[in-house]
Amino acid sequence: MLHRTEPWRPSSPGARRNKRAIVAAALATGLALTGCASAAPDPSAAPEQTLRFGLSGEPQDVKVGADQGSTGYTLDALIHRGLMAYDADGALVPALAESFEEIDPATYSFTLREGLEFSDGTPLTSANVKNTLLFLADPENGARTLAAMRNITEVETPDDRTAIVHLSENNADFVAYLADSTAFIAPDDALSADAIATVGAGPFVIEQDDAGVQLVLARNDAYYDADSVTLDSIDLVFYPDGTARTNALVSGDVDLIDYVPWEQFSTLESTDGVTIDVQNGLLMDIEFNVTDGPFADPLVREAVAYAVNRDSVVDAAFFGNAKAIYGPPIPESSDYYTEESQELWEYDPEHAKELLAEAGYPDGFSTTILTTSQYVFHQDTALTVQADLAEIGIDAELDSPDWATRMEKATSGDFQMKINGWGGIVSEPAYLESYLGGPDLAKSFGWNDPEIMAALAAGRTGADVDSRKAAYSEAIDLMGTNVPFVPLVQRGQAFAYKDTVTGFSNLPGFLTFFAGYTLASTSISAG
Amino acid sequence: MISFIAKRIGVGLGLVFVVLTLIFLAIHAVPGDPAAVLASGGASGTATPESIERLREQLGLDKPLAVQYLDYLAGVVTGDLGSSFRDSRPVVTTILERLPNTIELVVLACVVGAVVGVVLGAAAGRFGGWVDSLVTAFSSLAISVPVYVLGTVFILIFSLTLGWFPAGGFVSWQTDPVGHLRLLLLPALTLSIAFIGVTARMTRSSVVETSRMDWVRTARSWGLTPSRVFSRHVLRNSMTPVATAIGLEVGIMLGSTVLAERVFNYPGLSALLVDSVVNRDYPVVQGIVIVISVLFIAINIAVDLVYRFLDPRVR
Repeated sequence: MLHRTEPWRPSSPGARRNKRAIVAAALATGLALTGCASAAPDPSAAPEQTLRFGLSGEPQDVKVGADQGSTGYTLDALIHRGLMAYDADGALVPALAESFEEIDPATYSFTLREGLEFSDGTPLTSANVKNTLLFLADPENGARTLAAMRNITEVETPDDRTAIVHLSENNADFVAYLADSTAFIAPDDALSADAIATVGAGPFVIEQDDAGVQLVLARNDAYYDADSVTLDSIDLVFYPDGTARTNALVSGDVDLIDYVPWEQFSTLESTDGVTIDVQNGLLMDIEFNVTDGPFADPLVREAVAYAVNRDSVVDAAFFGNAKAIYGPPIPESSDYYTEESQELWEYDPEHAKELLAEAGYPDGFSTTILTTSQYVFHQDTALTVQADLAEIGIDAELDSPDWATRMEKATSGDFQMKINGWGGIVSEPAYLESYLGGPDLAKSFGWNDPEIMAALAAGRTGADVDSRKAAYSEAIDLMGTNVPFVPLVQRGQAFAYKDTVTGFSNLPGFLTFFAGYTLASTSISAG
Repeated sequence: MISFIAKRIGVGLGLVFVVLTLIFLAIHAVPGDPAAVLASGGASGTATPESIERLREQLGLDKPLAVQYLDYLAGVVTGDLGSSFRDSRPVVTTILERLPNTIELVVLACVVGAVVGVVLGAAAGRFGGWVDSLVTAFSSLAISVPVYVLGTVFILIFSLTLGWFPAGGFVSWQTDPVGHLRLLLLPALTLSIAFIGVTARMTRSSVVETSRMDWVRTARSWGLTPSRVFSRHVLRNSMTPVATAIGLEVGIMLGSTVLAERVFNYPGLSALLVDSVVNRDYPVVQGIVIVISVLFIAINIAVDLVYRFLDPRVR
């Protein structure tokens, strides 16, 4: 049975007013949520000097000298400074050092700027330089710049502003290693394996750490060139997903993004008010396990170098945003650049087959390519290589675990070929000695060729440019037939930013990850 | 009643112990050295074997597995879930920061999903015909469209085209309540769509089934209006399986919001879990799995209690 406890009646005037109030409140909430109620900015007002930077991940705790990936290099460049740095064109410039002198290729003297301070107000002296460089020189501390630092035998500090570094061997590029953003000068209490280095001498300081969301940086008034820093603050907002990062820039949520995904280049190129700043930076290559099996034979490695069509890798893995390379990249501006060094091989499957036959594999063989499912461009590169190798009779199966597993396999030699992506620590060919003399994880497993390593060492220690150039040319020439690795492409590494961001610049080649240095001279202009 | 709850909690604690043991063994069995990943910043790395070995010692990874397990158990019992390998912050702190974000997202998605889903499902079951067809078609579509596709479409429409909402991100409630809600709405709506589909479908079939019961016919024969029969005798009795489904969905959603969190750059627990697995950050992985298991078990206990309210026969 139906019982109505109250008779129906039309809404009273009071109830109608209440309804109107509810509707009005709902509309106001809706407008506020959709952002339509916000006041329009005053176009005549000076733009707020806060840069919102969509960063490709959350940086780890900063450790002195450690290789913490691209987000780490950027954070280091913002809150720390070394003796040297790079300007917007990628040229080496003194930073904490006011000047330096190459007494000889094994002795360098640095004069610090006057009145240097860390962000906590403590003075930065030559003693800090000495202690930091000796810390970086200790292999146990695993510094990224160890290849150069390990040759430091002594650091003299005749006064508070002078540091004289003595090396056990000549190193013409030593100063360039000091411009790596991980080679920053740190206070003494940060010089231990478990210390976190948040106090620095860079243009910005960490003001707020919203873990998992953002780091808020404020201008460091103790920075030696604080007057030239225009930005008041930088919000480093973490966007691990490339599409989300791109969307954030297009929708105006951030002003600048790093590590633009290759598939998004065309979207951003056609977006009004956005600049995409690309430099061909890191290289993708094939590395081998040379301890046994077919790849122990240099002829087979050479066959692979001739078999892969680099243009396919450029198109398939990088959507056309990369440069095909046939030798270890050396910038044309380098004293050591030669055309021959960039043309060690070419795409020639017929020659590759001949080399295979000469090595005793006329019908090819079966093998595996270690890559990773975690980075799509690694996997796409591997797929292209797989297809090209099939053309010369090498039947390669892909092994594509996540990155951590791939690292373990690379470290233990549990692979036959692998795809890798890396960049040199410096632009000059000295990076080849660091790379080929470095840990097995990051190069061909078990590879060592005394002749090539001796030539590279001669390049580093040569007394003059001519002798160094001759040695590097010899080393690279030997690589043509020994093939310690097969360079494939230099991938386009891009930052993208609103047109209101001025003064920021991507750096050329391997230096792309140090573009963070240019944020010290970046500003926001009126839109 | 109290003994029932105590018994369920006892069983739940046993389950948590099994889960934490399994996750400890599983994460340690997966290849990948946390120290090597950490020392290379996720790239190829230039770290020396000496520095990786020292890092391993620092993280306690050089100890025998049994010792690591006992240390871990001792920590869990005292409420100490260890510290993250990546940023050395206590895992409990990290989880307490992220958990409310995920709970907020899941609760809003579930409230929208449950309310809209029950209404749609009830309407489909009650009216049949084209309403039923429409709701069934919508449910199928809602369940089958992947979250990342839906999220991307929402961003395209509401952020990039209309500019009504930010494309993603997070701001705390304390800093900017309106901004907080604006950032919460799209991911919650994205997650709720599939939830609406599941709930509507479950409600519809349950309503249809219950409508055929004898007591419903009896109620009609008493002369009750169709709407009263439906609301009092059909809908309420249809809710038991729906409550089960909602409970399970909420539990599952707590650990699987990762795609929505990724698309909308929302700092929730699921994205942290996935990142931590990728980085082999053992303490964080273990901590999150424990918390999600405890919540899942708690929700199931709550659902059992709801049964007892909805269906007197269970008491």
